[in-house]
Amino acid sequence: MPIEPTSSTPISLSVNGAAHTAEAEDRTLLSDFLRHGLGLTGTHVACEQGVCGACTVLVDGEPVRSCLMLARQADGCRVETVEGLAEDGRPAPLQQAMTDEHGLQCGFCTPGVLMGLTYAHRAGLSADQAVTEVLRGHLCRCTGYAGIRAAVERHWQGEEATA
Amino acid sequence: MTASDAGRGAGPDAGRMIGRAVPRVHAPRLVRGQGHFVDDIDDAGALHAVVLRSRVAHGRITRFDPAAALAGGEALLVLGPDEIERFTDPIPTAWRIPGQLTGTVALGDRTVRYVGQPIGLVVARSRALAEDVAELVAVDIDPLPAAIGLAAALAPDAPRLHPEAPDNIGGRIHFGDDPAALDAVLAAAPHVVEREFAVQRINHSPMEPRGLLAEWIPATGRLTVHSSTQSPHAVRQELATALRLRVDHVRVVTPDVGGSFGGKVTLYVDEALVCLAAVRLGRRVKWIEDRTENLSSSYQGRGQRARARLALDADGRFLALAAEITGDLGAFAIQAGSGPFQVTGLALEGPYRFPHAGATITAVHTNTVPTGAYRGYGMQEAAWIRERLIDEAARELGHDPVRLRLHNLLGPDELPYTTRTGLTYDSGDYPAALRRAAELARERARESTGTVRRGVAVTASVEITGFAPSALLELFRIDWAGWESARVRVNQDGTVTVFAGVIPVGQGIETTLAQIVADRLGVPLDWVAVELGDTATAPYSDLTSQASRSVTLAGGALVRAAGRMRERMHALAAAHLGAPPDEVVLDGAQFRWPAGNATTGWSEVAARGWRGWGRPDPDRIRLEESVDFDPPAITYSYSAHGAAVAVDLETAEVTVEDYWTVNDSGVLVNPAIADGQIVGGVVQGLGIALVEEAVHDPATGRPLATGFTDYVLPVCADVPPVTVEHRCTPSTVIPGGFKGLGEGGVIPAPATVAGAVAAAVPHIAHRLTATPLKPERIWAALSEAKELSEAGELPGAGDDRG
Repeated sequence: MPIEPTSSTPISLSVNGAAHTAEAEDRTLLSDFLRHGLGLTGTHVACEQGVCGACTVLVDGEPVRSCLMLARQADGCRVETVEGLAEDGRPAPLQQAMTDEHGLQCGFCTPGVLMGLTYAHRAGLSADQAVTEVLRGHLCRCTGYAGIRAAVERHWQGEEATA
Repeated sequence: MTASDAGRGAGPDAGRMIGRAVPRVHAPRLVRGQGHFVDDIDDAGALHAVVLRSRVAHGRITRFDPAAALAGGEALLVLGPDEIERFTDPIPTAWRIPGQLTGTVALGDRTVRYVGQPIGLVVARSRALAEDVAELVAVDIDPLPAAIGLAAALAPDAPRLHPEAPDNIGGRIHFGDDPAALDAVLAAAPHVVEREFAVQRINHSPMEPRGLLAEWIPATGRLTVHSSTQSPHAVRQELATALRLRVDHVRVVTPDVGGSFGGKVTLYVDEALVCLAAVRLGRRVKWIEDRTENLSSSYQGRGQRARARLALDADGRFLALAAEITGDLGAFAIQAGSGPFQVTGLALEGPYRFPHAGATITAVHTNTVPTGAYRGYGMQEAAWIRERLIDEAARELGHDPVRLRLHNLLGPDELPYTTRTGLTYDSGDYPAALRRAAELARERARESTGTVRRGVAVTASVEITGFAPSALLELFRIDWAGWESARVRVNQDGTVTVFAGVIPVGQGIETTLAQIVADRLGVPLDWVAVELGDTATAPYSDLTSQASRSVTLAGGALVRAAGRMRERMHALAAAHLGAPPDEVVLDGAQFRWPAGNATTGWSEVAARGWRGWGRPDPDRIRLEESVDFDPPAITYSYSAHGAAVAVDLETAEVTVEDYWTVNDSGVLVNPAIADGQIVGGVVQGLGIALVEEAVHDPATGRPLATGFTDYVLPVCADVPPVTVEHRCTPSTVIPGGFKGLGEGGVIPAPATVAGAVAAAVPHIAHRLTATPLKPERIWAALSEAKELSEAGELPGAGDDRG
């Protein structure tokens, strides 16, 4: 019994500001396309069912579980991943806050957490809302969330101070 | 935890690095998405494997037919049980401990013994294709009666898993006082509290599942494996055994590891099959476990029941503690075999004085996935039994639970102290920690409101850390080395490279080891790089970072190695300057001889050293110092934990509103990393206490939690602020005075939460003997209490829902 050939579609999308046109198998997930198609391995896959948040990326500015979206669904979209957060080779303030506050241990959930919190900050959520509405949707097995919460506090306070 | 500016650059404090909360050295990389986990390694040209697994709990494979899978040409290899058996040997159980009766994990076996057991492997050009083809492999399994759970496996007519274990008993041993003597003490005691306890099976649930990339070079016969493992040397040995290879032909490399918690400490059968496929094909073969496999087929932790009795005299003095512990090994005795259950017995007494104590351990094979190491193993189960019994004794006898504990805690003047089961505690002040935790409990207790009942509790426990020495392992026939080795190299430009056998899995060990070396050499932290995890370059280590050993053993070795290197660098500098060695001081990047008004650079001294110029000892040239460290004994951390909980009588939900710990792990290298280990451990303990449970269907043996929707992990909303206070009693057996702290957070947490629940709803306290304390369990206890109360059998509890 032969395996049925799978169909492919050419897709064009912007990832971290760079334009990509690529052939993607129709069944390819956005997470796999980013990781294995484009070599952007900063986006991690941990539960493959949209629960843990590790694979979160921003698609047209909205947080998306990239393990639940097909690559072809992102055709024509603007995708942002953890690799795009740093500016001019320097870590973004939220990345620095996570480092300073020990917001990570193994670091596997961290890229998704950073993308979720980046969305929360841009959307104007308060620090409390960022924790209760966004961080709540991310699983971390190492930190007990204490360092991540501290990073949120520091980042949101720092932004107030410079505003 | 503010440390962003600490320790960088050659400031006046540059050398003083122990005790500073500097950021983790690997964090800048990981926040940028520049991690190097196994699935991030460039896999161009690699083939992809999918594991075929048993769907029945017990049976005989009567047909394994890959013809249809191979017909289309997409499958490059299909391995089945017969071929696997022909080319492999079983993986031996490393702990050949007394009482261990079974001791291998079969690779190719036509008998399957649990749902999820690997029975074959399919290899194709992509993972998706391999998954497609895997569905075409025809497998028939004739089911046999299965023993799911301890009761079923111990029933008189239970199906047998292994011929060498006719009663399904894979291990049995007794520690401490003789059972008959214990029974006599208990029979004569004025008060005895007896309960049946249970701790559920737990999935480690690291955020990164297991995975590996195996490469075989046919011409040289060498196998290189990048694997998400905590134990590359042990895996190398197990691979060599399983695949009949020479150890020097196998190299195992640990890249970044996304959490382990004891779940990635041994070679798994599916991992061996991936390597076998690489050997058979002469190609790179990759396999990344998916979450369903992780939750159903990765080895689990815990899974234990116990009947335990605590005897007290009329004054509340402990007279005896006895437990009969039954552990669920699952289908095979992996790695440590019945070791985790044995540790429960050994650790039963905790920090208290018991004139008599003992435990009988029975380890039982069942038709479920094997169990093994999970953070704090044995010690968490022991604390659950002991601390719950103490709370129950206080309630039954009308004692204050804190005073009852203080009455029986070992005092600092009683240490060192050897327990009835043979553990010798080294140093500490157990009562001081408990008194402080109790003080915090008084400050933080909150009133009940309406149908929300509140309670607080404190507990005390000890933690076995720095598991060693090698002689102890030999005594127990644990086929591993207990010592650790570490190497400090000052490079030609003065930078420093550190090699150790322990493994980073997120705990921050690369940072703490760098801090120790920077401190002892007197150089800035960012001059020091730590290299870990490659059997080609790393010092040999079987146990690596298990059992809270990293800072204690590798750190202890580095204190010595760096101390020696410091002396050598000073001697070389002095020779260069023509100064007496004790008059040369290192000041930033310069060696200074104040009396002679002369200086030379650290890097210049290093360069001259590598050239062999001006050396005091003709036979010591390269700037490397290796130290093998085998400590004389285990060193023990201890802590007191406290929790404040709310129990909603209308929903039976338990909320942990506050949590605090007073911890003593000796000298802390990096307090922020220490806090992270403790808080992370506490939250894993909250998971055991309240939500996590790996359940198997009692009829089919199928795992019922195969995704994170069913296997519930604590989310941030479940976690209260956790206060961590430290005390410091330096270890007397570890250079640097370090004690371990990887497991102390999780050990007492479930018992502490349950104690607080018991204080909130005392009329169901006697029912709080099994975790997780899910609403259905609390609800059943509340309902039963209400019925008893309405029937007049339990006065005072009936108004609790009004």
